[in-house]
Order: sequence, then structure tokens, then C-alpha cells
Amino acid sequence: MTVKNSNLKFVSKGITAILWLFFAANLIFLILNFKNIPSWEYERIIKINGFTILIWTVVSFFSALIRSYSFNYLEGFKYQTKFSLISIGFTLSILLFVMSNHIALLIATWFFMGFFMSRLIGVDSKWGEAQEASKFAFKYFLVGTFFLSLGLLILAFQLDIFTLNNIIDKVDDLPKHITLISALSIIIAAIIQSAIYPFHRWLLSAMTSPTPASALMHAGFVNGSGILLALFSTVLFASNTLIILFIIGGLTAVIAQFTKLLQVNVKQKLACSTIAQMGFMIMQCGLGFFNAAVVHLILHGFYKAYLFLSSGEQIELIKPQKNPNITIKPMQALVVVLFGLMGAFLFNYLTGKGTDLNSGVFLTLIVAITVGQVTYNIVKEQSLSVFQKAFLPPALFLVGIATYAFMYNAVTVLMSDMPMVAEPLSLSAIQIVFGAVFLVGFFVMKLGIYRKYPWLYVKLLNISQPSKKTVLMYKSK
Amino acid sequence: MINLNIKNSIKEASQVIGKTWPLYSFVTSNPLSGYEQMPFEIAIKHAGKHLNAKMFPETSLYRQAWEKGDIDKNQLLKLLEEYQLSESPEYYLNEMESFKTGLYKNKNHELDLIMAKWLSAFIDEGLAEWEMPNKNQGFYKAWRKLAAYDNDIPKLHINDIPKTSTEALDELLKNYSKADYTKIFIAHLAALPGWTGYINYRSNSNSEWQQAYPITLQDYLAVRLWVAQKIKAEIFPKNDNELTNTAITKLQLTFLKAWEKSWQNKLVNQLETKQIETSSLKNQTNISDAQLVFCIDTRSELIRRNIENKGNYETFGYAGFFGIAMDYENLNDGLIRKSCPPILNSSYHVTEVAQENKLNEVEANKQKNEVEKFKNYFLKRMKNMLPSAFGYVEGSGIFYGMSLIARTLKPAYFYRLNKKNAPDFESICEPQIEKIRSNNHNNLNIPLEEKVAIVKSAFDLLGWRNFAPLVLFVGHGSHSVNNPFGSSLDCGACAASPGRHNARMLAKLANMKAVKQALKEHHHIEIPKNTIFIGAEHNTTTDEIVIFDSEVSNTQKEALEKLKFDLLQAQQTATKERLGAEINSVALAQKKANNWGETRPEWGLAKNAGFIVGPRELTKNNNLEGRCFLHSYNWEMDESGKALEGIMQGPMVVTQWINNHYYFSTVDNQVFGSGTKITHNVTGKFGVVQGNGGDVKIGLPLQSLMSSDSEMYHQPLRLSVMIQAPLTRVTEILLRNEHLKNLLDNEWIYLMVMDPLDKNGVYNYGKNLNWKGAHKHKIMNTQKVNIKIDAAQFA
Repeated sequence: MTVKNSNLKFVSKGITAILWLFFAANLIFLILNFKNIPSWEYERIIKINGFTILIWTVVSFFSALIRSYSFNYLEGFKYQTKFSLISIGFTLSILLFVMSNHIALLIATWFFMGFFMSRLIGVDSKWGEAQEASKFAFKYFLVGTFFLSLGLLILAFQLDIFTLNNIIDKVDDLPKHITLISALSIIIAAIIQSAIYPFHRWLLSAMTSPTPASALMHAGFVNGSGILLALFSTVLFASNTLIILFIIGGLTAVIAQFTKLLQVNVKQKLACSTIAQMGFMIMQCGLGFFNAAVVHLILHGFYKAYLFLSSGEQIELIKPQKNPNITIKPMQALVVVLFGLMGAFLFNYLTGKGTDLNSGVFLTLIVAITVGQVTYNIVKEQSLSVFQKAFLPPALFLVGIATYAFMYNAVTVLMSDMPMVAEPLSLSAIQIVFGAVFLVGFFVMKLGIYRKYPWLYVKLLNISQPSKKTVLMYKSK
Repeated sequence: MINLNIKNSIKEASQVIGKTWPLYSFVTSNPLSGYEQMPFEIAIKHAGKHLNAKMFPETSLYRQAWEKGDIDKNQLLKLLEEYQLSESPEYYLNEMESFKTGLYKNKNHELDLIMAKWLSAFIDEGLAEWEMPNKNQGFYKAWRKLAAYDNDIPKLHINDIPKTSTEALDELLKNYSKADYTKIFIAHLAALPGWTGYINYRSNSNSEWQQAYPITLQDYLAVRLWVAQKIKAEIFPKNDNELTNTAITKLQLTFLKAWEKSWQNKLVNQLETKQIETSSLKNQTNISDAQLVFCIDTRSELIRRNIENKGNYETFGYAGFFGIAMDYENLNDGLIRKSCPPILNSSYHVTEVAQENKLNEVEANKQKNEVEKFKNYFLKRMKNMLPSAFGYVEGSGIFYGMSLIARTLKPAYFYRLNKKNAPDFESICEPQIEKIRSNNHNNLNIPLEEKVAIVKSAFDLLGWRNFAPLVLFVGHGSHSVNNPFGSSLDCGACAASPGRHNARMLAKLANMKAVKQALKEHHHIEIPKNTIFIGAEHNTTTDEIVIFDSEVSNTQKEALEKLKFDLLQAQQTATKERLGAEINSVALAQKKANNWGETRPEWGLAKNAGFIVGPRELTKNNNLEGRCFLHSYNWEMDESGKALEGIMQGPMVVTQWINNHYYFSTVDNQVFGSGTKITHNVTGKFGVVQGNGGDVKIGLPLQSLMSSDSEMYHQPLRLSVMIQAPLTRVTEILLRNEHLKNLLDNEWIYLMVMDPLDKNGVYNYGKNLNWKGAHKHKIMNTQKVNIKIDAAQFA
């Protein structure tokens, strides 16, 4: 028994080391060959390019990290080995997914990603609610795979081509209704994976998985849609369906962010945050910035994995608090606007986004408001000195924007051989209307207006409840 | 008007549920404290039925104990025979194993779900930015205003719901007889024992959250019964007539008793051997280089042993709040926390004031805290608001990525780098004691006599005669990260706070010139001029001892340096022994303290089984494996028995609570504990739920009790108390304290007395003061029979 255990541990440590090495190798390869990464194909089944290596780097990072974390965290867990095997299966599925060129492989790996993820949700096979949650999620993933298959097979059979790179080159030759059906199917598959409304409930019911599995889910699974949409950007352009992504993503981002405000459980709160962030990522796709979406999915992965892995830190005694005061003096407002503009300018300069009057303006606007919010919170804080108030905001947004721009530019280069992944759209009326909705949401939240509507509270509370069968369903005796 | 019957029935029914303590001050209390008036056997039958819980260790644990020899074969055979069970132990183990348990559907699923949803929303203590509307009007009224929007229940208008919880209950119960009330209430309170236990806690403690957002069991019942009626769920519980298998119960109890008795025998043997060895060394009166007073906590035993063998040091055990019933106001967060046992009312309020010439430092510290507070607020704001949440993630993502690597791969390094164990404001402040503020005192200063009394009572309870040049009061605290149960590892006697401030406070009082003077003049306690009292804290995760010596004069520092050196050695050997690591044991301990993926940073009070009251000579050099609480006591200096009575009323009851908590959390970790940590979901900043939600969890997690999902670490045994004192003295104390006698008669704990007047013979307590010699040749002498008769007359 103990010999077997120590052997298992040895093997487990070995796999972790291999994953870390694989991560390091990918990263070094990226750095050394940056700008001219060779593309490599095998028999029309496999295709490896800069984007593949990029996602490999990210995925191997999270997998290795989760393994290192779980080594202690899951010590003594009855299903530790099972957990480990499923995680490996999951990791391999994504690694294969991003190197697939044949659509059969693409569909199969997409299916296996969902399959393994649902197994992680129900890894504790003796726990009734976990089994329900696992089944519940698996149903969603099956539907997702169905729609992905539909979307891709329509294209493939219509063109009689079964390789990804050839299909996306020839999309323009297809009749409009074919690309439309295909695009809608791909979109449905994508938003199921990302738990976008109205497909969000599986994610809110997935807390039966051990914490590291949640970290993996939120850093490496839900954002699979960003990869998928980037791969099929030409289909979306050809079918003119970007606006759907923009609206669904944007609405989800706003609603989920409000829903997050009333969550009382840490993990559900993080899940709502993920849904909002995925909404934002989908919205970026809808604006034509698939490269920005990929950057977002990577950075959000770091952020959310961190918050899940540290989710035990939220126990704390605090005092009941009154809502914060939100008045602002004219002088402070001026500084806020000034810094906001500076931030926007810096962002444009460093990323080249939104310099012309196109859909990039939205992204610039968000940066400007964020910088404004940073500044606003700092300048009205009494414990800070004038010096700190003057220098802290620019220091923060300089660092924040610079690191982001670095990532953005790097990813853009790595994705440069993919068609139509950084194509700003010209501004449409719908976009402007929706931009206004976004701003209204911002002010409703900022001014705390939402607090005046109890019915809204109840609606949001109810839509964010986990599936009923996954809570208090069973008793044991 | 509230129907008085209803009120009384609620009170009666509420005995069924315990108290759920918030995890920020987690008290290991007996979840069955409402049943303590009943014999253990009866209590577990009732509780097991109401809470649908297992009340005995799993058979696999019995088997592990049996195979390891922790259940002594002869002892078990003897007990089996006593109960007329004639088959072999193996046979009975198999029989118990064949009694399988399984899952079944919760028949009140809908109702429980709706209640859990509203309770978690209402009781939240600051996790949600957008709190439940109208919370300040109390649970019932707040819910009533929202119920019409809730599509989990059939459509209704707000006026359909009675205005107050009283009216609601009156209306709902009008068709039931008074006799049924309690039955109904018990069923509905026990349906979500975690949440109702927390309501219990809130209304008893009247915390700031309770004052701002009141909730009562009456509110809960009114909402629950009203919803039940609306969704056509069951109000009056149908009799399930669930058969508890009495034959199995009998077996389980027999095995438990055999296990307990085996452990007691081992302990008695160990102590008796010791008696023979050390009797020749008695009456030595050389003065040690330092005296260190530790908490009675089981974790002190190991470090005490490791310090004692490093030099000429004496150690003592005393309740870790050092006899100061205080609330402590922390300088860093301005929050006031209880810092004495929960069974005591606080009479003092301790704050920090700047040491001489340290005003500027204190001011700077305050500034630093303000900025820290702002930082937290700022980050929360950025993450919560639209659209900064998106911008923030993009701007900070890389830095989260770097932190991921740092925290996962190099926890021990960052623990040392951040000097997590260094004194904080303790080096620039000193504690100041005042009266508690809630009692409307005009003058908050406390008189000298009270200060003297605090110090004197410490010396009395410790049975102290001589003072070394260095006297350290060593509280204890634990370091762990990402651990919702962090406070369960801190000092239980300080209401789950670290004990450092009580230690510092007592040291300061004992150092006061006026106090020393008074002790000398009125109580004949002479403290040598060169003796200094110093506060310290034992870090139970790393076994490091941090000493708060900023006010120690230079001449005394030298002696202290030697002690500090020896304490470092003790840390090495103690961690080595505890963690079983031959090399780098300190680094390993530091890793455990700062690794965010660590679910077992240390073992807390697991394995506790005994409470020994007596001088250190009794246990010294004996490896008790960290299984005993140790309280110093010198029977010769306590003629009146007052000190012993104090120990039995206070520490003994607290250790019983702790022990029972560990027992029940182990035997049914889902119901009385909190299940596995790996799927915990923190709720409301005060508790955890499992997975997607449901009932808030009551007790310790699996990782605090078991080495793996199936391997036992804590052995679920009831506490065995061993007191070295004359038997008559103990008997008298029990006669004066009915509730202590009840605990014994009802078998919540065991008591053994080592009578020094009878050649240190050991006597076991039996129901109604029937003392039995631990060895067959020792029979009760007539004097004791007389006492028993007297007792009968008293009653």
C-alpha cells in the first residue's frame, strides 16, 4: 500500500515536472523565434503555428501550476489519482484541440474537453449532488459539441474539404445562408462553453469540483470559446454575425457584473465575475478584435486562477458598513478626466487600437473610464498625501497599460498568420446604441441606483442560483 | 401578541440545535451542549434521530484502532463479557461493518433550498456588495417584502403574508395543539442545523451584525412554515419511525468504551511508573534560569518537553487567556474581539497605547494601516465596478500570473522574506487594561486590588513558590494561509484569537511596582528584584517563540539572549519530532505556514484525549504525544481547594467542549464537522458551505481530523481527566458543583483522581461519586463510603 503510494507520488511529481518543462520549452521557443515562427503541418490532420505554441504555453502553465498546487491540496483525497488522470486528459484535449487541422479531430477534442471537465465536477463519485452537477454540465457540453459539429460539418460537406485551414480560406465562396447557419452554430457552441446567458447555469452549479479544478475550469476551459471564435473568424465575418457576438457578450458582461454584486458565496461570486469577463471577451470578438479576446482570455486566466486558489482567504470579521460616499469635487473631477484622457492616449499609442473612428473606440473608452475610476478612488482618499494622489494614478495606469500593451502586441504578432483576427469594424448605429447601454449600466452601478429596485435583486438572485438538484438533494444515513 | 406557548416551544426546540460559530472566531464547542443534561447514551440517540447523524466512529476507525492495538484486547474481551456478548471481536467488527449506510432523497428539498437561499442572502456579513434590501428591518420583514418577486414560490401579493412573524406563526399553527408545537419546531430547526445554529449564535452574542440586521429563530420558523404551507410541503413531521439498530448501537458503545479504557490504562501506567522514578527527586528547590508558562493546549506538551531538555528551564501550564477576562481592541483594524473563554463574560477592555518615546512610530503605523485599508477597498472597487472590472483584469493580469508562481513554488521563502512572525506593533505599544465599556462605568480605570488579584490568582493556580530571573508568559497562535479554519488553530481559551495580548497584559501587570508591593505586603508573595515578566507567543505551526521584549532592560537582555538561543534549538527539535523530518524541519514548517495549497498546516488539538491537573513532575520527561491538556496544580498549596475548583469549573469544562467537538466532528464529519476542505465555498465572510451551497457547516473540516479520507488521525475518545489531589477535596468540589457532577454522571467525560494522601493511588469516578480503585487491589476505604453517604444526605 505505502510502496504503491510512494510510487504514485513519484510518477505524479514526474508528470508535474514534465509539464513545467514543456511550459518552459514553449516559452523559450516563443521568445527565441518571435516574429518568424515556422508553421508545421502533418498529413492534413495537424497544424502547428505561433498561435498553437502560444496556447500550449498558457495551457501547460496552468496545468503544471494546478498540479503543483494540488500536490498538497488534494493530499489524502480518495480520488486524487482519478483527479490527476482526468486533469491530464483535459490538458491533452486542449493541446490537441489547438493543433487540430482536421475538423473531426477538432470536434472530438472539443467533446473531450467537456467530457473531462464534467468528470472533474463529479470527481467525488460518492457525493450525490456532485454527480447531479456533473450530469448537468455534461448535458450542456453535449449540446455544445452538437452545435459545433453541425456548424463545421455544414461547411465541410458544402465545400467537400475537411481541413480547418482550407475551409476558412474558402468561406467566401459559400452561399450566405450556409455561412449563417454555420456561424450561428459555432456561436452557440462558443457561448455554452463560456457560460454566457442563457447558458450560464452549468458554471454556477460546478462548485462540487475541488478548488484547483475550478481554477482550471475558469482559466482554461470556459475561455475555449475565445480560441474557437478566433479560429473561425472568417466564418463570422462572412455571415455578418459579429454584431450578435457584440450584443450577447455586452449584455452578459453588464448583467453578470450586476449579479456578481449580490453573491454571498465566494465561488459563485467568482463564477459571476467569470461570466462577465467572458461576456467582455465575446464582445471584443464582436468588435473584430479576436487578438484582444485572446489576450483577455490569458490575462483573465491568471486573475481568476489566483482568486480561486486563494478563495479560502475570504473569512474575515468586518463591521457592517454604510454605502460609500460618491461625491466628487470639481478639481478632483478635472484630474479624473485629465488622467482618463492620458490613459486613453497612452493605450492608443502603445496598442494602435482605436486611433481611427472604428469599433476600437469602445476598447479605448473602457480604458479611459477605468483609468478615471482608478484616479477617482485615489484622489478622494484621505489617508493619502497630495504627492501620492498626484503620482499614484499615473504610475498605476502606466504600468497596467504598458504590460497589457506588451502582451497585446506580442499576441498580435503570434496570431499574424491567421486571417481576420484583428479587423476593426466601422462604427454602426447598433454599436453606438449599445455603447450607450453600456455607459448607462456604468452609471447605474456607480451611483448605486440599482439598490432602489428590490425586484431586480430577486430576479438576479434567482437567475444566479445553481441547478436545484445540485444542492441539498440528498441525505445520507 | 405572541402566544406564550409558541415562544416556550421555540425555546425548548432550540435545545436540539447547537451553536454555529463564525469561522473568524471559531470556538470548538460541544454541538450537543443542549443535551448535556442527559446521559451521553440517551443524548446521542435523540440527536442522532433529529439531526440524522452518525453518533459513533465508523467501523473502519474501530478496525484501525483494533489492528494498531489502541483497543486493548483484554479490555475489549472483558467489556464484551460484561455486556454478555460472547462472539469474538473480529466477528463484531464484521457485524458492524455489514450495517451499511447510503444516500436517499431529501424529502424537504424544495423548502430547504428556498430557506437556504434567503438565509444566506440575509445573514451575509459583508461579502456581497449589494446586500439584501430592507435588511435592517429584520429577517421576516425583509423577506416578506421580497417574497412576491420570488418565482420559487407560487404567485402571491405582499398582503397575503402576515405583517409580523408572530402573526404568521399564530395563523399557521392555529390548527395544531400546543403539544405539537415543539415537535413541529424541532423538525424545522433541525432541517438546516448549520443556519439555525448560526441564528442561535447571532442572537446570543448580539454581535454588531445582529444589532444592525436582526434575525431570530422565530423569524426563521415563521418564514419556513409560511413557505411550507404555500408550496404544500410538510409542516407536521410524519413519524418516520426509523429504527435505530439497537444491537449495533450496543456494540459500538462497547467498542468505544474499550478504546477509552485502553487509553486510560496506558496513561495511568505511564504516570505511575513516573511516580516511582521521581519520588526520590522531590523537594529539590534549586531555582531555574527561566520559567515559561504555556497554555494548557495539547500542543504545548511537545514544545515544553523540548525546551526543558535544552537547559535549566521550568515550564507550567495555565489557561491561555492568563486569567484575564478581556476583550481586545486590535490596533491594526480597530476591531474588538473577545479574548477569553466563551463561557466567561468579559470584564476588561484592553487597548494598545504607545510606549514611551514611541509616539511617532505609532502614528506611522496608523498611517500604514489606513493605506492598507484603502488598498483593499480600492482593489475591491476596481473588481466590482463596470467597466473597470474589465480594464483592471487586463492591466493586472500579468502580476496575478507572477503571484501564482511565487505562492505555489516558494511559500517558505516568502514566509521568511515577509518576516511573518516578527513582532508587529507590539514593539512600539504596550497593552492597557480598563473596565469593559458596555457597563456604563464613569471611571474606566481599574483599582490596584483587581490588578493584584489577577496576578495573584495566576500564581495560585500555578502553585508557584519561587521565581526565576526570567518569567515568560507564552500565549499561542497559529500561522496558516488560505485557510478558512485558521482561527480554529489559535488559542481556544482566548475565544480563537492568538493569545499574545493576554500574555503581554499579564506580564505588564506582574511587572508593576505597585502590584509587586501589594503582593509582598498583603499576600506574602515576594518577587525577587531581578525577576522580570515577559510576554511571548508560541507559533504552533512553526514552533517558533516570539518574545515581546522591547521593554526589557539591557542588563536582562543578556540572560534573555541565552534563552532565545535555546528556544531556537527547541524549535529545531520540536519541529523535527512533530513533522518527522530529519533535515530542514523548520523550513518545512514554514512552508506549511505559508503554502496556500496546504490543507493541513498543523494539527491543532487533534488527538486530544486527556486533561492532567497536577505538577509538572508528574508528567515530565514523559512523551505524552501531544494528547493531553496540562494544567499546573500543586495540591499542597491549595488547602481550601479553591484553586482546584476554579480549574474544574473553567479549564475542565472548556477542554470537555473541545474534546466533544473533536469527537462529534470525527464521527459524522458531514453533520457536525464541515466535510472536506477541497470543495469548501466560503459564504458571507463567516462560514463555509459544501460545493454549490446549502447548509452552512458547523465544525472542523476533515483535514483537521483525518490524515486522509479514510485514515484516522484524531481518535474520537471522550476526555479523561486526571487530577492529582486528595480524593476528599475533589469529592467536595463535585458536591458543590452540580453541573460538573452531571457531566461525569452523564458520561460526557471521565474523571480519575491520583490521591497523594493514599500513596498516589488512582481512583476512577463512577456514577454518583462511586470511586473505584484503578487496580483491583485498591478498594474504596470506608472514609470514602462515608463521603458518599454524606452526599446522599446533602441531596
